[in-house]
Amino acid sequence: MAEAFAVDIEGVHKKFGELRALDGVNLHIKTGEIYGFLGPNGAGKTTLIRSIVGLVAPDAGTVTVLGRRMPDVDNLRNVGYMTQQAALYPGLSVEENVQFFAAINGAEEQDVTDALKLVRLDDRRTSVVATLSGGMRQRCSLACALVHKPKLLLLDEPTVGVDPQLRVQFWDDFRRMAASGTTIIVSSHVMDEAERCQRLGLIQYGKVLAEGSPNEVRALAGTNNLEEAFLRLAGAKAS
Amino acid sequence: MSGHRVAAITRRLLQGFRRDRRTLALLFVAPLVILGLLGYLIRGSSSSPAVGIANEDQGQLGAMFASALERSSLINASTIQASDGGAKLKDGSLVAYIVFPADFSSRAQAGTIAPEVHLEGSQPGTSAPVLQALQQALTSVAATGPVHFEPQVHYLYGGQGFDTLDYFGAAFIGLVVFFLVFVITIVAFLNERSQGTLERLMASPLRRGEIVLGYMLGFTVLALIQSAEVLVFSLAVLKVHNQGNVILIFGIEALMALTAVNLGIFLSMFARTEFQAVQFIPLVIVPQVLLSGILFPVSTEPRPLQVVSDVLPLTYAVNGLRDVMVKGADLTWASLELDAGVVAGFCVLLIVAGVATLRRRIA
Repeated sequence: MAEAFAVDIEGVHKKFGELRALDGVNLHIKTGEIYGFLGPNGAGKTTLIRSIVGLVAPDAGTVTVLGRRMPDVDNLRNVGYMTQQAALYPGLSVEENVQFFAAINGAEEQDVTDALKLVRLDDRRTSVVATLSGGMRQRCSLACALVHKPKLLLLDEPTVGVDPQLRVQFWDDFRRMAASGTTIIVSSHVMDEAERCQRLGLIQYGKVLAEGSPNEVRALAGTNNLEEAFLRLAGAKAS
Repeated sequence: MSGHRVAAITRRLLQGFRRDRRTLALLFVAPLVILGLLGYLIRGSSSSPAVGIANEDQGQLGAMFASALERSSLINASTIQASDGGAKLKDGSLVAYIVFPADFSSRAQAGTIAPEVHLEGSQPGTSAPVLQALQQALTSVAATGPVHFEPQVHYLYGGQGFDTLDYFGAAFIGLVVFFLVFVITIVAFLNERSQGTLERLMASPLRRGEIVLGYMLGFTVLALIQSAEVLVFSLAVLKVHNQGNVILIFGIEALMALTAVNLGIFLSMFARTEFQAVQFIPLVIVPQVLLSGILFPVSTEPRPLQVVSDVLPLTYAVNGLRDVMVKGADLTWASLELDAGVVAGFCVLLIVAGVATLRRRIA
């Protein structure tokens, strides 16, 4: 039976020294939805993503992914994670990078070809990553994250350095993957990206300030502009 | 533990090195340069130390000694006036001068052979051949007299042709492999962290043990090729003295390489940048070079330093390599069993430490 929530975060707190990176976060992300973590740099978005994959141990609270309490190494075969930095092996070709991540996640050679086609790098498969542009590296990094067809895909600022045309293609692909049951969590500080998510969590100072669809968030703040909505909601919480 | 995932890491590591010519050069060219340079330094010297001979002896003996010294291959002897000797030592044209005084023969007849030896003294390495040449001259002169002085010298190990390179070469084979493999492992593993791929690996189903084992196997392949290259070069080109089994030497080298790989992985956990990783070299490598018996025998070290030497893996590897190459030891020797056992023990300990310290969680 499919889990109702792909990700269930209950009362998660995390401090780094004196810094409260996560301060009582509660989030329930449904299976097959595209959910956006929206917030400025340093808001806690990356820490939240890391806690979902078990790289950060919460001081309090629980994180449940696909019905299993994290950390759970075996459960990570169902998770794809694209880090903020295009974390790749620069001395390897595009294909070798994707093949490596396919191998450690138990994917097949056909999955490598599919992933490279999806990110439009199939014609550059033999190019060494060190010679690629920033945008191409992002695409290769995305291919590495989704090559094993994960049930949950975590994308930390996935379209940084990607040209507008390809960004549109990426989002078409994300929507198609979500329609086939993949849950996608995207972190971003770009409002244009936030508009494309089905639901948003506005994050600042390690807290979820507001949650809902882009329209619901705008209505909550009483404005038609998402950026304005974010600023109003952040201001209201701060005061 | 999945063999498939371990193999993926090993393959990825070797694929990365295939295009990294600089690192390949460090692995496979640098050992030849270092050992070649060492060999040339020790055996390629063309000039013997310049020694002045001033014969003021009024008898025959001084001339016989002077003649024997001039024939010596250890020094480059020339005739001088005793009064010029001091100035020539100061200006550096001589490293020593020997005076046979006027009463040299007459005192010798009375039972005392007393040449005056004046050494420049600031370079101990050049003084030794002078005294050695003088001893040889004494032996040579004694052989011409009524009493023939013909010592029958027997070597337990080494032999007459055994030289400094033979002594150091055995230890350097282990040191070069250890040093270069350690440096490349620690930097490569740290790259995994700094380029963000380690975070990705940790967010995958990979076990910590699989990461360490995959890395270990990949570097071991490279280290074994390097070990074989170093061994062939040392034995075939440098002609380093070897009395033992080549497979046994290779085995000790391989153990050293494995230890270096795992030490590199373990210590990389304590560095955040490549610069910090490089700081481990003086901390880890230099004490081992000084204290593992490569330069000075461990038995001659002050007692507190011997205690330190006894816990360094390189001490046992160097001892084992010397035992095999110089003394022809095999695995029936208890000392070699101990040396190989201790190095293997270090290796296992470091594998466990590497796996234990590789943190999945960032915090």
